[in-house]
Amino acid sequence: MTSIGTGYDLSNSVFSPDGRNFQVEYAVKAVESGGTCIGIRTKHGVVLACEKIISSKLLKPGCNKRISTVDRSAGIVTSGLLPDGRHLTSRGRDEASSWRQTYKAPIPLSSLASRLGGYVQAYTLYSSVRPFGVTAILGGWDSEAESGVDGQVGNGPAAGAGGKVDDPSVKRGGPALYMIEPSGLYWGYYGAATGKGRQAAKAELEKLDLNSPDCALSLKDAVLEAARIIYVAHEDSKDKEFELELTWISALDGPTKGRHEHVPKELLEEAEKHAKKSLEGDDEDEDDDEMEE
Amino acid sequence: MFRNNYDNDSVTFSPQGRIFQVEYAQEAVKQGSVVVGLVSKTHVVLTAVKRNAEELSSYQKKIVGVDDHLGVALAGLASDARVLSNFMKQQSLASKLSYGRPIPVERVVNMIGDRAQSSTQHYGKRPYGVGLLVGGVDDLGPHLFEFSPSGLTQEMLACAIGARSQMARTYLERHLDKFADCSREELIKHGLLALKESLAQDKELTVDNTSLAVIGVGSKEGKRRVENFKMYDGQEVGPLLEANVETSGTGEGEGDAMETDS
Repeated sequence: MTSIGTGYDLSNSVFSPDGRNFQVEYAVKAVESGGTCIGIRTKHGVVLACEKIISSKLLKPGCNKRISTVDRSAGIVTSGLLPDGRHLTSRGRDEASSWRQTYKAPIPLSSLASRLGGYVQAYTLYSSVRPFGVTAILGGWDSEAESGVDGQVGNGPAAGAGGKVDDPSVKRGGPALYMIEPSGLYWGYYGAATGKGRQAAKAELEKLDLNSPDCALSLKDAVLEAARIIYVAHEDSKDKEFELELTWISALDGPTKGRHEHVPKELLEEAEKHAKKSLEGDDEDEDDDEMEE
Repeated sequence: MFRNNYDNDSVTFSPQGRIFQVEYAQEAVKQGSVVVGLVSKTHVVLTAVKRNAEELSSYQKKIVGVDDHLGVALAGLASDARVLSNFMKQQSLASKLSYGRPIPVERVVNMIGDRAQSSTQHYGKRPYGVGLLVGGVDDLGPHLFEFSPSGLTQEMLACAIGARSQMARTYLERHLDKFADCSREELIKHGLLALKESLAQDKELTVDNTSLAVIGVGSKEGKRRVENFKMYDGQEVGPLLEANVETSGTGEGEGDAMETDS
């Protein structure tokens, strides 16, 4: 960052001579010190997980949830400045409900990501605002069933413009995972990670082979893996205690019945146990003679 | 005087991703006198040390009742707290009008959190220079929330903010396990003792400088499901101080007589 201090980094929406918007880059820095958040997309559903750093013993355990539901089958988790995350989540809820208002159907996750991406991007355009100091991971399941519209009369034209496409090769719905950065940029992911431990988390996500068509990871496996990855990513900042938060979304015929919800207590406990055990196992295998932690 | 170029407004990130204006606002909280809050399974208690500008002036209000089931204790700019508590009063009344029930504590806390967040993201606004402890009771029981100028709100088991509040927090952490099962009286005692920890060496809790408020879950059988917000101020705190805190003076009146001399 050679141009720091030359004055081009003091205001939002100002380009430096080499074409960068420094305020956005600094917002990314705010994210990089936040707790690790990950998302995993499998054929059977999506899992969101987050490492909630316990900054004080006086915090009420199990409260202050960081993963929120924005629509029945869509969840969002943010890393970075927590109040900014709440702002973005609240915007997500507004978008989801106004979409329902307009189209009488749930918002597809691709559209939600697009709307929120656009919203975040708008905060890079003006010097009167600052960019969001958060990266958001969005997970959801778009229903593959065609949902009827309230007050629908008839089925519309059978062919031609506005006609139905009954091509079985066109697949509708399914799991979706997106990540939105402070610049407003967003991509779809098989596995996404952000926050302090993102490097380690990404390395672990890549090992899962999520993009391979014959990836055999079940939704429950994905939950266990998500927990393990959060624990692995936490290794570097061992001193601080943390709470694990896990949510999932499956198809209508899956365990969550198409809803985004926190995983049941038993599964959370199982996932934590599995994560701790696999960490201990790692230590024995890889560096048993170095340390015994 | 300036720490750097990045601290002039709340819409500028520093290269480390910090927002100095917000951090400075959080310093304003530390200038305020200490307030303590803590919850049991049945009650939430707020305690505060009040300050007076000069010997003959009145003491600054530190605890504000928002509704029967809700109250806040403040540290920092009192006028900012008034804006926020008035807003909470409005929201609480609106909830009663629309839904016929008291507003859930977390909801109203999130509302002021969102308000505070927006003043950290838009030019021309400034962050609130006040920290709040919001205590309240709803269908889920008693709650205590900490609100900070960044817009961060967190549910706590116990908390202390303001000048020298670290000592009170240490006390609270040490006794944290006991709070859940405390009776009303025991919780008040812990609240006052935690408050006392944070006092300057030559100060002590008196009827003039101590405020205390309690809200509780009402008896299940009774009509009322909430034991209403009750503030103990002035002479009313006397018996509570006598029962719970050792004061060096023997009589009640003696405490302030000594202070006048100093």
